[in-house]
Amino acid sequence: MSDFLLTQIINYGAPILGIIVFIGAMGAPFPGTLIVIAVGAFAKQGLLAWHTTGLIALACVVLGDCLSYGMGFYARDTILHRFEKSDRWIKAEDTFNRWGGMAVVWTRFLITGIAVPVNLIAGSSGFSFRRFFLYDLLGEFIWIFGYGGLGYLFGAQWETVSNVLSNISGLTLGMVLLAIGVWLGVRRLKTIESNKTKVPGL
Amino acid sequence: MPPKVQRALILGLVILGILIAGFFGFRAVFALREFQRHEPPPLAEALTEQIVETDAELIRDWMTIPYISRTYQVHPKILFDALGISPMENEEKSLLQLNEEFFPEMPGIVIELVKAAVKASQLAPAGDVPGTPAAP
Repeated sequence: MSDFLLTQIINYGAPILGIIVFIGAMGAPFPGTLIVIAVGAFAKQGLLAWHTTGLIALACVVLGDCLSYGMGFYARDTILHRFEKSDRWIKAEDTFNRWGGMAVVWTRFLITGIAVPVNLIAGSSGFSFRRFFLYDLLGEFIWIFGYGGLGYLFGAQWETVSNVLSNISGLTLGMVLLAIGVWLGVRRLKTIESNKTKVPGL
Repeated sequence: MPPKVQRALILGLVILGILIAGFFGFRAVFALREFQRHEPPPLAEALTEQIVETDAELIRDWMTIPYISRTYQVHPKILFDALGISPMENEEKSLLQLNEEFFPEMPGIVIELVKAAVKASQLAPAGDVPGTPAAP
């Protein structure tokens, strides 16, 4: 897949890159990070103009993210109907409203594997669009110009850089899942402990 | 959520997290070692546009002849001649596509011919055009 996409980029340039990152932002499993780093290297070779290519890619990926936010937003009624505004749902909404900005930024360039679920959750949990848009723009700016910049700096070695970054991204995702699991486990143990201490007092 | 489901969810997250972190962590260590083996280019050089590539081993299957020609500063005619095919309607095809179309019986031959042509043109004095057409 990545080979086919790279061939299309060297043939058709920035417009095809825009389409790829747009579809990727909507959930298609494209190797976006690899492509952005490669495009940085292509810009160094003078094949693409880094500023216009970067801006086209940024506009397209943000548009794709906004659309997947929209999908979550319009699915909100169905989700609310399903959970009937339960305490858990309200609590989850509050948590996302507090930490959602960070989740949006970090999932744009580091834990990219869960970017689309975060967009959908942001849309469906009532996270404001204005905040989503600003955090999304910041995160995608880092992704496009930061990672693309690494491709530009390292030139022909872009494949090695991409390999390191994609593995670090996977490692981070694993550590986040592990941290959530441990956090939930500790919370569950605390609840069990507090229930035990409450029983004798009854 | 029933306690059994809660327990399974927590256990699942922890196991999945360990597996993913272990797998990618292992690969990241190897990737970092590989990264350190390659000296990064000096910043001044890295910021200069249009550096001519010289390492023909970096040629990949997804590249097209015009792209290789531009990257290695080798005339496209030399590369097409080395493959024995016409540039007409073949300029946008990757090396892999050219291989599948013109040399289906010989996988990997196109990339090898192109690498050899690039190396030969790097060795040849300026103005000399190497490369003999190979019948498809």
